[in-house]
Amino acid sequence: MIRGRSPVVRSAIRAASPLALLVAAFLFFAGHNQPGGGFAAGLVIGAVVALRTVAGIGRPQDATRWFAVGTALVSAVALAPLLGGEPLLDQVIVSETLPLLGKVKSGSALVFDAGVTAIVVGLFVAVFDGLDADELGRDEVHV
Amino acid sequence: MIWILLVAHLVGVVAVLSLPNPRPAFAVALAAPLASAVWAASRLGGGEIDTARLDWVEGLDLAFSFRVGPLGALLAVLVSGIGVLIFVYGHGYFGGGDRRGFAATLLAFSGSMLGLVWADDVWTLFLFWEATSVTSFLLVGTKSTDSTAVTAARRALLVTVAGGLVLLAGLLVLVDVAGTATLSEMGPVTGDQATVAAVLVLVGAFTKSAQLPFHVWLPGAMAAPTPVSAYLHSATMVKAGIVLIGVMHPVLGAVDIWSGLGVTVGLLTMFWGAIGALRHADAKLVLAWGTVSQLGLMTAMMSLGSGKAIFAAVSLVVAHAVFKAALFMAVGEIDIRTGSRDLRSLSGLRTSMPVAFWVMVFAGLSMAGVPPLLGFPAKEAAIEASLNESGASGDLILAGVTIGSVLTVAYTTRLVLALFSDKGGEPTEVTPFRWAAAAPSVLLSALGVVGYVLAPSVTDWVVPAAATLETTSAGYALLRWPGLNSTAFLISMGIVAGGAIIGAAAARHSSPPEPLGANNVDRLVDRTLDLAKWTTGRVQHGSLPIYLVVMALVASLAVIPFLGSIDANQLYAWDRPLQAGMGTTVVAAAIAVAVIRSRIGAALALGVVGLGVSALFLIQGAPDLALTQLLVETVIVVGFVIGLGGLTTQFPTNGFVWRSVRIGTAVLAGAAVTAALLASAEDTPSNREALTAAAVDEGGGNNLVNVILTDLRALDTLGEVVVLVVAAMGVLALSRADTARGGGAPLSDDVRKVRR
Repeated sequence: MIRGRSPVVRSAIRAASPLALLVAAFLFFAGHNQPGGGFAAGLVIGAVVALRTVAGIGRPQDATRWFAVGTALVSAVALAPLLGGEPLLDQVIVSETLPLLGKVKSGSALVFDAGVTAIVVGLFVAVFDGLDADELGRDEVHV
Repeated sequence: MIWILLVAHLVGVVAVLSLPNPRPAFAVALAAPLASAVWAASRLGGGEIDTARLDWVEGLDLAFSFRVGPLGALLAVLVSGIGVLIFVYGHGYFGGGDRRGFAATLLAFSGSMLGLVWADDVWTLFLFWEATSVTSFLLVGTKSTDSTAVTAARRALLVTVAGGLVLLAGLLVLVDVAGTATLSEMGPVTGDQATVAAVLVLVGAFTKSAQLPFHVWLPGAMAAPTPVSAYLHSATMVKAGIVLIGVMHPVLGAVDIWSGLGVTVGLLTMFWGAIGALRHADAKLVLAWGTVSQLGLMTAMMSLGSGKAIFAAVSLVVAHAVFKAALFMAVGEIDIRTGSRDLRSLSGLRTSMPVAFWVMVFAGLSMAGVPPLLGFPAKEAAIEASLNESGASGDLILAGVTIGSVLTVAYTTRLVLALFSDKGGEPTEVTPFRWAAAAPSVLLSALGVVGYVLAPSVTDWVVPAAATLETTSAGYALLRWPGLNSTAFLISMGIVAGGAIIGAAAARHSSPPEPLGANNVDRLVDRTLDLAKWTTGRVQHGSLPIYLVVMALVASLAVIPFLGSIDANQLYAWDRPLQAGMGTTVVAAAIAVAVIRSRIGAALALGVVGLGVSALFLIQGAPDLALTQLLVETVIVVGFVIGLGGLTTQFPTNGFVWRSVRIGTAVLAGAAVTAALLASAEDTPSNREALTAAAVDEGGGNNLVNVILTDLRALDTLGEVVVLVVAAMGVLALSRADTARGGGAPLSDDVRKVRR
């Protein structure tokens, strides 16, 4: 219904999507020291998924793939320290000086956060897929 | 070595399952038990002790801990040795077909049983205890298309698992009072708590070892293929309870109720099992009831607890495993070669199946306790142990053991006579001989004779094993010929004579009883399921508004215990006036949500509530929360666009009553949340400086919230994301439920509404 009535919305969403993903990336990496983090990044990506679905640009599917990736990352970070005899979920912090970016500090928490992001995105995909949200984007649905 | 052997069982299971060709399944499966049996046999009679320990959760004293001493070696020889023979027998019994799954499950059971008898930590023991319950469930239900087998498997599982839970409770109490979970470090305990532990542990043992009134699952479990019955229901799994009573003897044996309860239940079971064995007409059921009876004797001896009695119990465990497995195998051979196990119709088997006949005779004589077979000295030991008891209880025990033994001889005589007699008419037709199905039983029944001849050697194996449970067992021996001036011997001969007469008289009669106990268990299970269906129908009626009302009401009640901790003196209106303004906006918007009749209007008002709250977070100094809230609100708006698309523009009109209920619930829930916040406001906030320092040091980040989420409290996050995944999978499954079922399945109207 939206596609039929509002090409403006569709074009706007198309144009805004990459920017929103950039915002998500920023939130994700900023998270450790400033407001943001994996959950917030996941929400932004989820919003992108939602908007594109409603506008009929994409169809959300394969939520299980997001879950698989997310759960794998999260459990890997959780279990990996056990191999080295460290307690569950113990963090490893790496500090490196890179060209352009300067001194960059990062840790296994970032991978953990990536898993969280993937799971949050998967949640959106699952819900919108489950609600058949993409039907709203089709012309033949009349309300 | 312990690890190697246990892991070998695990590897064996995988290997059997991944065999490209089903033919050698049993041959591959017997490798691990064979290795265990050989290793354990090499240690028989020696005094060395092997231990293996793998700490799992150190702070909780959770460990995989094993200890193989004389008892562990002896039991392992039985478990693995008979296991090897069972795999050979299974190959002959099934005579082809794809049995990879069966062989693998049987091997998994064998490994579990080995772990159980080697365990030196109560939690390790419990783990393997449950593993035997589960694998035995799978084995009993092997014929998964046969509803009798499935019901029997379910019954066995429910009874043994219920007993497992009781045992778990008992072990928890025991570990608390003993102060350690390691069996070899536990000293004797007494007192009220120890009494509770003793009763619970005994009940657990009773369920597994089919003692009255939990014996009902064992006869039903005969629906399993005979290799399973011969292994699980005679030689191994049902002995787990006896072993448990044994290993608990040094710890709980001093508790007053221990031996009284164990001996009473054991002797009653011995009597009742023998009566059952005398009445049934199915040879396998006769053996099953006979097993119940024998287990009763072993339970009584093991819990009696004197040195002689423990020695007798361990000897009986050995003798029983050998002869009962042979008997089951012979009956199974008769079953597969004639297609029947009915004592009333089988005829002429003495000439047509001579091997099975002689196996039954020798193993049967051992069961009856007749020399020159291993069962005789073991039974003698039991009678002597009863004679040693003094007073009225001693007389009762002796009477119980004697009567039980007379009946044992009787049902054994009756079984052999009735099974191999000529009934007149045509002899039963018999299919060709299969060596693999016969050889193991021949070996086992021959072992009965060998064991008798080598009684001094057997004594050397049994005595150290019994002595690990009760040191005073050390002085006893299995006597081949106690002499005519021994009271026990005279009683024995009296038992054999009396039993033979009763058995011969009963050979022509069968009156299979109705399995009342089993039926009652089944009825109980069915009723429970009906009740569950009824409750589900009442509670899960499918109306989302009613679900919400119920959930909100119940959640509101949770705040009641905290009402007392509200401290009015600590309350103040606001930190900054801006909060008052924002708070008022939120309240006004919330009221608007409830009052506005247009759906899209209500959604927008709800948006105002969300944005207002996120502004409040920001004012409070929590940008992270504010950001998250803002993003969630954004997504919810999109959700509303999708959700409202398929609904009418106005809310439907509700009746007065329903409206009142909803308003009341809303007010109550609001009050409850307010009260909960007020109550928690009093608590001192968590140490902020320490957390901030920890965030930078350990987490390597300045954003405290995020470091808490991903590092300091990452376990919570892990749990939360798992919940998220599960919830989302649930949404997916629910929304696809009716398409997957072909579109016609009943889904509640609300779910449909949501889907559109």
